[in-house]
Amino acid sequence: MAGTTFMDPHDVPVIAGTQGWERMYPYQYQFSKEDPERGAFESSQIWYYDGLHYPEPHYPFDLIWDEAWSLALSQYNTRHFIIPPALGIDHRIVNGYVYITPVGIPDQEVVAKRVPHFLERAGYYYQNWDKLYENWKKKVTALIAELDALEFGELPEMEDISVVTEGVGKGRGFDMLKRYDDLINMGLLNWQYHFEFLNLGYAAYVTFINTTNQIFPGIPISTLTKMVSGIDVVMYKPDSELIRLARLAIKEGFEELFMRPLNAAGLMAELEKSPAGKDWLSEMERARYPWFYISTGTGWYHHHISWNDNLDIPFDAIRMHIRSIKEGKEVGRPTEKLVKERDRIVEEYRKLIKTDDDREAFEQCLAVARTVFPYVEDHLFYIEHWFHSIFWNKVRQIGRILQNSGFIEDVEDIWYLKRDEIKQALWDYCTAWATGVKPRGPSYWPKEITWRKEVYKKFRDWAPPPALGVPPDVVTEPFTIVLWGVTTDVLSEWLKGGGDGEGEQTELKGSPGSSGVVEGRARVLRNVSELSDLKEGEILVATTTSPSWAPAFVKIAGAVTDVGGPMCHAAIVCREYGLPTVVGTGKATHLIKTGDLIRIDGDSGVVTILERI
Amino acid sequence: MPGKETRYTLWYEETDGQDFNFVGKKNANLGEMIKAGIRVSPGFSITIYANDTFITDTGIKGKIEAYLADLGPVTYETTKRASEYAIGLIEAASIPTAIEEEILSGYRRLCELSGTVDVPVAVRSSGAISMPGQMETYLNIRGERDLIDYVKRCWSSAYNVEAIMYRANKGMGFLFNIGVGIPKMVNSRVSGIIFTINPLNGDPSKISIDASYGLGEAVVSGLVTPDTFLVDKITFDPVKTTMGSKEVQCVYRENGSDIIQVDVPGEMRQRLCVSAEEVGELCRLGKLIEDYYGKAYDIEFGIDADLSFPNNIIILQVRPESVWSKKEVTARTEKRKDPMERILGQLLTGVKLKQ
Repeated sequence: MAGTTFMDPHDVPVIAGTQGWERMYPYQYQFSKEDPERGAFESSQIWYYDGLHYPEPHYPFDLIWDEAWSLALSQYNTRHFIIPPALGIDHRIVNGYVYITPVGIPDQEVVAKRVPHFLERAGYYYQNWDKLYENWKKKVTALIAELDALEFGELPEMEDISVVTEGVGKGRGFDMLKRYDDLINMGLLNWQYHFEFLNLGYAAYVTFINTTNQIFPGIPISTLTKMVSGIDVVMYKPDSELIRLARLAIKEGFEELFMRPLNAAGLMAELEKSPAGKDWLSEMERARYPWFYISTGTGWYHHHISWNDNLDIPFDAIRMHIRSIKEGKEVGRPTEKLVKERDRIVEEYRKLIKTDDDREAFEQCLAVARTVFPYVEDHLFYIEHWFHSIFWNKVRQIGRILQNSGFIEDVEDIWYLKRDEIKQALWDYCTAWATGVKPRGPSYWPKEITWRKEVYKKFRDWAPPPALGVPPDVVTEPFTIVLWGVTTDVLSEWLKGGGDGEGEQTELKGSPGSSGVVEGRARVLRNVSELSDLKEGEILVATTTSPSWAPAFVKIAGAVTDVGGPMCHAAIVCREYGLPTVVGTGKATHLIKTGDLIRIDGDSGVVTILERI
Repeated sequence: MPGKETRYTLWYEETDGQDFNFVGKKNANLGEMIKAGIRVSPGFSITIYANDTFITDTGIKGKIEAYLADLGPVTYETTKRASEYAIGLIEAASIPTAIEEEILSGYRRLCELSGTVDVPVAVRSSGAISMPGQMETYLNIRGERDLIDYVKRCWSSAYNVEAIMYRANKGMGFLFNIGVGIPKMVNSRVSGIIFTINPLNGDPSKISIDASYGLGEAVVSGLVTPDTFLVDKITFDPVKTTMGSKEVQCVYRENGSDIIQVDVPGEMRQRLCVSAEEVGELCRLGKLIEDYYGKAYDIEFGIDADLSFPNNIIILQVRPESVWSKKEVTARTEKRKDPMERILGQLLTGVKLKQ
């Protein structure tokens, strides 16, 4: 890769008509040469577009999670576990798209000094993993309960009498401002918890991957995942709840009712009419909390709504499951088969190891990988799905207040404000309420939001280059390797396609996500709301996907994503469903058009466009 | 049905390794492979008993014994005369009807199985003791008349000078009845080699397949760059597939048994010569052979254009892998105190981005 670099991050042109876009995001997120030292650092690093999490440009508010993980991931590497050669991951934003870079430690002496601390601190976590993880679940569910209890309402014309009779000594305006801070702090705390185990989890998993690769060069990643994959994976619980409800519906004789062209509300009204129907509905209510908090996207964007936000989605899925069950198809995860297959694979690999040293290495790494894997697989549900789904709706409560008081024209306009700007708007709102005057917000925000919406549209039409800056010699940061799959092959592929003549390119290279070869018509989907366009046997092409797209996975023949490594959500779920998958192609959604005939090879990671529509 | 000892022919699948006294070693081994589930080209053995009945009933046996009694001391000259005498008698004689009928009915069944008339077969000598290369094997024999003719030639090849002297040196008698194998010639659309390890690094968790169009010579002697498939031996998931250029293929000359090279059409070169399904079956057979013999193997195969999947995947030859099996096995991982040190080691190494 010597002598090949990407565009300098300072040279990315501003899109016409978006001048001043920087004020939509925190100032430290901008590339700048103002400080020559910081500018030189920026030019010397590899910055890759985090399309794995952000297939769309950022809404100013939604950047909260990016800032949250920037703090949390980095601090656990740098300050908590003292990962010897890796500091954190630095973040920037260009034309609305987040670029990140792993920061290493070049000085070997500094690295050496960090080693004993790492052994002590990480060692403690690995040794007490299960106990700490149990405690983690308690912390997170308590936090979610606290979040759930938080409510935002209009300020009253007059405070309740109790503020006087009980000598409360503080008002509702102050409460609202404090509650907003509480809401934001809960969100940030949630992300502190997110990374409590994940860095160490990925470090253990990388070690397992590389050790087994030393013993068995080129062992497919799909084989390794099969060796460590959990059985009671929380992420599959929502779908298995739907299957349970589908079976219950069949047992109670509701299958004909479910086939009628009714939406969720219509079906629920029909079910309400009989005692058995009421029982079914109460079973569903039980499943809803928490399992219907699964997001229809990755949970990273406010518009990734959960099943609880739109019951038509789970009802459609139940209908599909009923149909499959009646057709005698296997629904859900074949748990027993997976366990048997996992045990067989491990047993046969064990038999092939020829020396005691290799056997010990294999057993040690397998054991640690199996210890960390439940967290790696399950944390997504707690953090990105359950917590986020409730969180977005709390912010919408504030949006409604601001809408009612004329600060914004629509609840959903709130996402065009930075979280600090919402706090300012709430100050404006509360002080005006306290004083009994007109706030400035209604004359200030609507025109600013109109401008931001125009800018945002232009961001959406821009294709962010997969990377900027200079590739390094070595990557030591575990996330960069496992989650984003940034390797030599991936970088050189990104370098190849970065620019002109993209229409001519008919072959893309990514990472093997899930084994198998398949040909089919492409269906390019930008987000989950387009899922209904998907037809049986099509190949899904998306920037990224998540397990919550579950209903899609029974329809498609395979999947291709722009971003992601072997452990990204799409790869995990596709392996479960046995669908050929290529991840991390960098630009499939730009090169492939819906209707193109494509072939994907989930073993070599090659996607070929066979015929243009 | 009479016992094996009085049958003139036995299908490969009717015999096993213990039956070498009836059909010869080579044939018995094929029976043993079939029993183990290893698919070989369909065919049958003409028993040693058939050879014995032939030389007895035609009176050849008595004539040879009388000739030898009058021949005098054993010299190269006398051996050569005895050889010529025996070969002449055998090739001139007619095979007793019962034996010929049984051979031809076996041949007709092979024709039926292949969906062709006069299907090409091989006529292979198979002695009850190993006599490497001493006797003849004939390839691409077609039609009933030629078959009978070459069966006699094969029997007579036990009396060529080298074979007689080889046996004499071992203290064996002059008369020697052999088994003959009649396998269908594999009409190789594709041939290749399976290694039950990765031959590049000895990794025992992979199966490696090289395959190209036509007869195996093209791959074995390196005339072409074949398609190569590296497959996970445990899950059969493909690890690496490389398309070869496959410019030429070796085929038998029309109505002959000599091999010629012809060009492979461009369109065929630009696709893989075996399907994913066929790769899976090759892997299954490779793994089976390794399990059966308990060690890594090097296997020649052909894919027969006359037969349908999976019966078209034919094992031609197997031998123990000879390079990596002889090497001393050393650990591939570093010795570490505990898992923590492994994780530390990994973090410190990282993933190299520049070669």
